[in-house]
Amino acid sequence: MKTKILTGLAALGIGAMVVLITACPSAKNTTADAGDAAQKVYVAPGKQDENYFFASGGFSGQIGVYGIPSGRLLRVIPVFSQDPEKGWGYSEETKPMLTTSQGFIPWDDTHHLQLSMTDGIPDGRWLFVNGNNTPRIARIDLTTFRTAEVIEIPNTAGNHASPFITPNTEYTVAATRFSEPYTFENGDVSIASYKDNFKGALSFIAVDKTSGNMGIKFQILMPGFNYDLSHSGKGVSDGFFFFTCYNSEQANTMLEVNASQKDKDYIAAVNWKKAEEYLAQGKGRKVKAPYMHNTYSDETHTATSETIEDVMTLNPAECPGLVYFMPTPKSPHGCDVDPTGEYIVGGGKLATVIPVFSFSKIQKAIADKSFEGDIAGIPVLNYKAALHGEVEKPGLGPLHTEFDANGNAYTSFFVSSEVVKWNVKDLKVIDRAPTYYSVGHLVVTGGDSKKPWGKYLIAMNKITKDRYLPTGPELTQSAQLFDITGEKMKLLLDFPTIGEPHYAQMCPAEVIKPKSLKTFKLLKNKHPYVTLGEKETRVERKGKEVHVYGTAIRSHFKPDNIEGVKVGDEVYFHVTNLEQDWDVPHGFAVRHNENAELLIMPGETQTLKWVPKKAGMFTIYCTDFCSALHQEMQGYVRVSPANAKVELTSNAAKDKKPQ
Amino acid sequence: MEKNFMKSSSQKTESRENKAIQIAWYFVWCTFLLAGINSLSSCAKQDGEAAKTEASKENSSKEVVKEKPQYYKVKNVELGASIDAAMAKNGTQIFDVTCTGCHKYDEKYVGPALGDVTKRRTPEYIMNMILDTETMIEKDDTVKCMLQTYLMKMPNMQVDEKDARSVLEHLREVGQKK
Repeated sequence: MKTKILTGLAALGIGAMVVLITACPSAKNTTADAGDAAQKVYVAPGKQDENYFFASGGFSGQIGVYGIPSGRLLRVIPVFSQDPEKGWGYSEETKPMLTTSQGFIPWDDTHHLQLSMTDGIPDGRWLFVNGNNTPRIARIDLTTFRTAEVIEIPNTAGNHASPFITPNTEYTVAATRFSEPYTFENGDVSIASYKDNFKGALSFIAVDKTSGNMGIKFQILMPGFNYDLSHSGKGVSDGFFFFTCYNSEQANTMLEVNASQKDKDYIAAVNWKKAEEYLAQGKGRKVKAPYMHNTYSDETHTATSETIEDVMTLNPAECPGLVYFMPTPKSPHGCDVDPTGEYIVGGGKLATVIPVFSFSKIQKAIADKSFEGDIAGIPVLNYKAALHGEVEKPGLGPLHTEFDANGNAYTSFFVSSEVVKWNVKDLKVIDRAPTYYSVGHLVVTGGDSKKPWGKYLIAMNKITKDRYLPTGPELTQSAQLFDITGEKMKLLLDFPTIGEPHYAQMCPAEVIKPKSLKTFKLLKNKHPYVTLGEKETRVERKGKEVHVYGTAIRSHFKPDNIEGVKVGDEVYFHVTNLEQDWDVPHGFAVRHNENAELLIMPGETQTLKWVPKKAGMFTIYCTDFCSALHQEMQGYVRVSPANAKVELTSNAAKDKKPQ
Repeated sequence: MEKNFMKSSSQKTESRENKAIQIAWYFVWCTFLLAGINSLSSCAKQDGEAAKTEASKENSSKEVVKEKPQYYKVKNVELGASIDAAMAKNGTQIFDVTCTGCHKYDEKYVGPALGDVTKRRTPEYIMNMILDTETMIEKDDTVKCMLQTYLMKMPNMQVDEKDARSVLEHLREVGQKK
C-alpha cells in the first residue's frame, strides 16, 4: 500500500516536473552566448544603431521607437493618449488630435504598426497605427516622428485587424473585432438578436500618394463574425487583402468556450480592385455615420478637426467575386503573406498545425467553383483546394509569422512559448528557439514586405516575470532580439519596452534617417498667434481672454513681467521658440496651472491655456534645460481680483510697461 | 574684467615681499598659462566689446582682422559703395525675426550691441558669425574671448547665405546712421 502511494506520488512528481519543463524553458537556455552576443549588440558610445524598431505601446496608446541591435529607447511618439512630457493633448494646438465623435478622449490602445510602402518595400515616409478601443487610425510623419493625422473608423468596435496596408500604400484597412447591430446609429437592440442584427464592417481607407492624407473609401458589410487580423496581398496576390475571423459560431457570451465550437473559422479574401469596380458601377450605398478626421499642420503648428457625415458601403451578396471565405483551423489569428505573395499563412490560437494557403490554388478553386457552401452570399472555398499544405507539429498555438529573404518563415507560439523557423515551400521545421515568456507578435527587419532585410528578429513577449530587476507587481514588457543570419536562431539580447507591444515594424536606419527634420523654419511659421521676433511681442485683451504673444530664446521669455491679468480670465500663452538650432526646445510652465506644460521645438509656436482662480503672484519658467542660464529663464504674472482696476501691461516690446 | 584683474594682480605681486605669496602667485600664473595665456591676452582687448564706446572711439581699425583666417567659410564679401536698399530692407525683416531676441543696436542685451558692428568687424567676420557660428565659436579668438564676457554661445539661426548678406547690408545701413 505504502509503496503504491509512494510510487503514485513519485509518478505525480515526475509528471509535474515534465509539465514544468515543457511549460518553462530550462535554465541553461535562458542566456545568450555572452561573448559573441555582447559584440553583436554593442553600439559604442557616439555610434548609432543599424535599425529603427517601432513597437506599438499597447495600452499606453503610444509608439515606442528603439535602436536595434542595442535595444535603446529613442523616443515615445504620442498618438492616442495625452503625454505631459511633450504637452501632447494638453497644448491648445494638439487637443483636436484627440477629439472624436464622442468628444475628447485622452486614451486608447495601440496594436499594430505599418510603415508606408512603395512597391511592397518600406519607403520611410509614414507609419500607421490603429486605435483599438475608440476605433481610429493614425498616421505618423517620419520626418518629425509626430502624429500628423487621426481618422476615426465608424461602424466599428475594436479596430484590431488594422492598419495593414497595400503594397503601394493605396489603402490602409480597419476591421471590427466585435460585430455590432448593422443599423449602427442605433445599437439599442437585444443582445440575443445577435444572429439577426449584427454585422461586421471591413473598412478600406484610401491614402493620398503625396500628402498621406486618409479618407474612408468604402466599408464591406460582412457576416457578424469577429474580424481579427489582416495583411495585404503582394506580388502575385496584389489586389487582394486577407482578414482572419473567429466566432463564426456567432456567440455573444463566453466566447472562450462558445466561439471555439467549430473546427474551423475563416480567412476572408477580399478583392479590393473588384470593390473599386463595383463602386464605379454605383453599387455602393451611403450610410449615415458621423466620424472625426483630425489633421496636424507643420505650417500652422495647429491641428484641426472636421466631422464627416457618412460612409460608402458595399454588400458582398450584391457584389459577386468581392469576397471569398477560406476555412482555417482553430480560432484563426495572424494572417501573413510571404514576400512573393503566393503563400498566405494562417495562425490559430488553439491550432496544432500551421495552414499555408496558395494564392494560385485559391484562384483555381474560384475558377473551378470548388466551394463548400456559402455564407450570406459569400462563397466558402474548399479547404483542401486552396491549401498549399500544413506545417505539422510546429508547436502549440501559432500566432504570427514573418519572413526572411531566403524562403523561411518564423512563427510565434504563445502556448508553447517559442519561435519556430520553417521553410515556406516544403513546410519543414528547421529550428526552434524558446522565448521568455509566451511570445505574442514577432517582427523581422522588413519581414512582412516584398524584400525582407532579415538579419534580426524580435520576439515581443506577453509575460516578463523574472527577466529584469523586479519593480513591484507591475513590470516592464520583455522583448528579445535574435540573430537570424545562420540556420539556427541565436538569442542576443533582452530589452524592456513600454506599454504592451503588439505588432512592430523594423527597417534599416538609412530608410528614415536622412529625412529626419532638425528644426521648423521660423520664417515659414504660419501659426495664427506666431510672434516673429521679440519686436512683435505683446499682450492683448479681448474681453475675458488675454493673449500673450510671447517668445523664448536662450535664455529668456519676452514678456517675462505681466500685470493686469484678472481672476477668471482665460489666459493664452502663445509661445514661439525663436531658436533655429537643432535640439534646443524650450519648456513653459505656469505655477498651479491645471494643464500640463508646453514643450516647444525650435521655430514652433505652442499655446498653454490658463484660467487663474486666485489673485496673487504667479511664476513662469522654462522646464527644458536650455543653457547655462536656464535657471534664469523665468518671470512673473500678477493676477488681480476680477473687479480690480489694474491695467493690462507687460515688458513686451510693443506694450505699455508696468509702472 | 580680465584686464582689471590681471593689472591688479601684478601690482600686488610687486608690492609684496612675502615669498610664499609670490610662489602662490606663480602657481596662479601657471594656471593661467595652462588655460591659454594667448586667449587671455587677446581677450584683454575684447573689453571694448562690452563697453562698445571704448572700442569704436579708440583705434577701431586695429580691431579689424586684416588677414582672413583659414577657417572662414565665407572668404570674401563684396560691398557696394552705397547701401543696396532692397537688400537692407530684407535684412531688416530677417534681423527682426532672427536676431532681436538677443541683440539690440545701442546696448548690450544677451549678446553685444550691433549698431556699430560693421565699424568693428570685417564683413567676412559678420557673415561667418551668422553662417558658420559653431566654427567661429570654436576657432576664432575674438569670439572665444567674447564668450567669457557674455557666457552665452551664439546659436546658429540657420539663415541662408542670401539672407545673411541682407542682414549685413542692414547692419551697414544702421552703422551709417551712427
